[in-house]
Amino acid sequence: MRSNRKRESLRFGNVAKSLFTCLAIATVGVGYVWQKNQIYRTGDEIKKRETALSAAEKRNTMLAAQLAQLKSPVYLEMRCQQANLGLVAPKETQTIRLLEPGPEWDARFLPAVQPAAAQKNGKLVKPAMKVVSSK
Amino acid sequence: MKPLTHRHRALMVVTGLSLAFTALACRLVDLQVFRHTELSREAAANREQIVHRPGRRGEIRDCNGNMLASSQSVRIVAADPTITTSNAAVIARQLAPWLKMDEASLAMRLTGTGKYVRLKLKVDEDTVAQIKALKIKGLVFEDQFLRTYPNGPLASHVIGFVDNDHKGVQGIEAGLDKYLSGVAGYEVIERDRKGREIRANRDEEIGPRDGLNVVLTVDQVIQHIAEVELEKAMAEFHPQAGVIIVSRPKTGEILAMSCRPTFDLNNPGAFPADARRNRCVSDVAEPGSTFKIVVCSGAMNDGLITLADRFDCERGAWSFAGRVLHDSHPYGVLSVEEILFHSSNIGAAKIGITKLGAARLYSYIRAYGFGHKTGIELPGEVSGIAHPLAKWNPLSISRIPMGHEIAATPIQMMMAMNAIANGGHLLKPTLIKSIVDENNIPVTKFQPQQVGQPITAQVCGLMATALRRVASPEGTAPKAAVKGYDVAGKTGTAEKIENGQYVKKYYSSFIGYLPAADPEISILVSLDNPVGGAYYGGSVAGPVFRGVAEKVTQYLSIPPQFPDVDEKKVAKL
Repeated sequence: MRSNRKRESLRFGNVAKSLFTCLAIATVGVGYVWQKNQIYRTGDEIKKRETALSAAEKRNTMLAAQLAQLKSPVYLEMRCQQANLGLVAPKETQTIRLLEPGPEWDARFLPAVQPAAAQKNGKLVKPAMKVVSSK
Repeated sequence: MKPLTHRHRALMVVTGLSLAFTALACRLVDLQVFRHTELSREAAANREQIVHRPGRRGEIRDCNGNMLASSQSVRIVAADPTITTSNAAVIARQLAPWLKMDEASLAMRLTGTGKYVRLKLKVDEDTVAQIKALKIKGLVFEDQFLRTYPNGPLASHVIGFVDNDHKGVQGIEAGLDKYLSGVAGYEVIERDRKGREIRANRDEEIGPRDGLNVVLTVDQVIQHIAEVELEKAMAEFHPQAGVIIVSRPKTGEILAMSCRPTFDLNNPGAFPADARRNRCVSDVAEPGSTFKIVVCSGAMNDGLITLADRFDCERGAWSFAGRVLHDSHPYGVLSVEEILFHSSNIGAAKIGITKLGAARLYSYIRAYGFGHKTGIELPGEVSGIAHPLAKWNPLSISRIPMGHEIAATPIQMMMAMNAIANGGHLLKPTLIKSIVDENNIPVTKFQPQQVGQPITAQVCGLMATALRRVASPEGTAPKAAVKGYDVAGKTGTAEKIENGQYVKKYYSSFIGYLPAADPEISILVSLDNPVGGAYYGGSVAGPVFRGVAEKVTQYLSIPPQFPDVDEKKVAKL
């Protein structure tokens, strides 16, 4: 029987094919493991960021509540009293309103009929604003 | 015995192996095929965990976006006694100062056979971070929401509060619970040996949806003004209860709603139920003389009287249907305008009896919204009492025009006065400006809603003429006058009923608006049984009205009608 066997020499092509196949299988295997590892690592990174985001949101809400407390009229009034600042809101009659130039200003402070001197080329000219110095 | 040949031995090994592999294959088929569902469920139960994520409850804000109520993330600190028992005393010593608990009781909780014991609720994040830094084994930190109210008792009756399950119990918290409540989500997660989540294996994930934010028409500064003025009135007149409402007559928006007694929203359980009741919507009382606006405006609207028409007020005592009706002062003949600003009971009764009649008076009572709910977004509102015409007795027509035999809530009276202030439009009162999502994008906006028009704009003008004189030196409420402003209003002083009898206790009120010609704000003040001599609405509620009005006009920059400044000086500037 043994003598009937046909001895064949190793061909380079066959060896290369086998090696390539082995390499391909190994690459796929290692790639799969590497990819899985990456997925888990990315998952961990996502989790860390989710936790950080959640913590930041919680802190933000807490700070917003603290800010609301600091801005509350009750707190401000209390601080005002503690610091003995003597601040009180002015009464309406103690307030002088300065009107912005416009229809309301014109109606209140300009004469009903525009004088001829204020006309230029037949068109009405708005009086120039007076600059108020804060001495 | 014939020895086994090589072939036989090989056959036996092959047969044995075949049987073993067949048994193994059968077992595998049984596990993987026939019991697959059961075993995979069991495996998943060991590996997976469903974690529920509650949705955050929406915020309640004032009209300028200031936070009035919000939900804070806090933690429940729990422990696994199977781990902590061996070291309970040491752990208790470390934890006690952070949890602000007694060391001995903490050690007792940490010792046991159970796998879970709660140590403390509502622990803030900073404290949890400090505890985590101690690296104590066997501690568990769970998420929890805590409803907080940064302003404490401010607007407590409007905002309301929630129960332990974060469900609204009272006020806007209950009335708008369906908008404020968040929707819980869940995650199906896997944990590793150390109990950490394997994020990559997260199976299902439905995120929680936060509740919507409610923006109120209430302004926290105006609310504070009302609270302070009401507190002052409580200290000065010692009434059983008190109410102040500030609103915009043109839109029906409530800018402030304050009640006394009150309670702290951060600890509602520490106060009696009586203090938690919103008297503006749930308490009824005979309104007294403030109700005269209904009969007078109704008769004028029907063209039956004018402001100049005169009625004999019988020098302060007039008998009708066998009972004597009294005025606080003995008036002779008064015009309708004088009846209003002197607040003559006999004059108002005579307008009702001789001019308007029971049927028309009743129709105006209903048209002004008495006897049914205003529809404000607060739970617990009552309709008040407006008896149907069939139940009126012979005296009713003389009593109802002066605000007896009828009961109304403060909010009903406010809206009736607002109708006179805004040209005859009876509006639905509203506390809600809008409902916004987390990005402040409006989901719903609330617009002024007219529910009726009891009188014409012309009659409103006539009424304003008479009501302006109420706050004048000759009227019943000179103390309600606000320097620089044109105030219109009406006083009310009603005797209280106890055990079916009128007693010498009073319900003093003042409802007014300003500027009378173009009203920007209306204010209702009512004090239940003021003690210490003064009890007339004009002397008790009038000054409170002025106190609120002076500050609110300044805050809202409402220009005065009679400015006390030299306009020339202004022009010079």
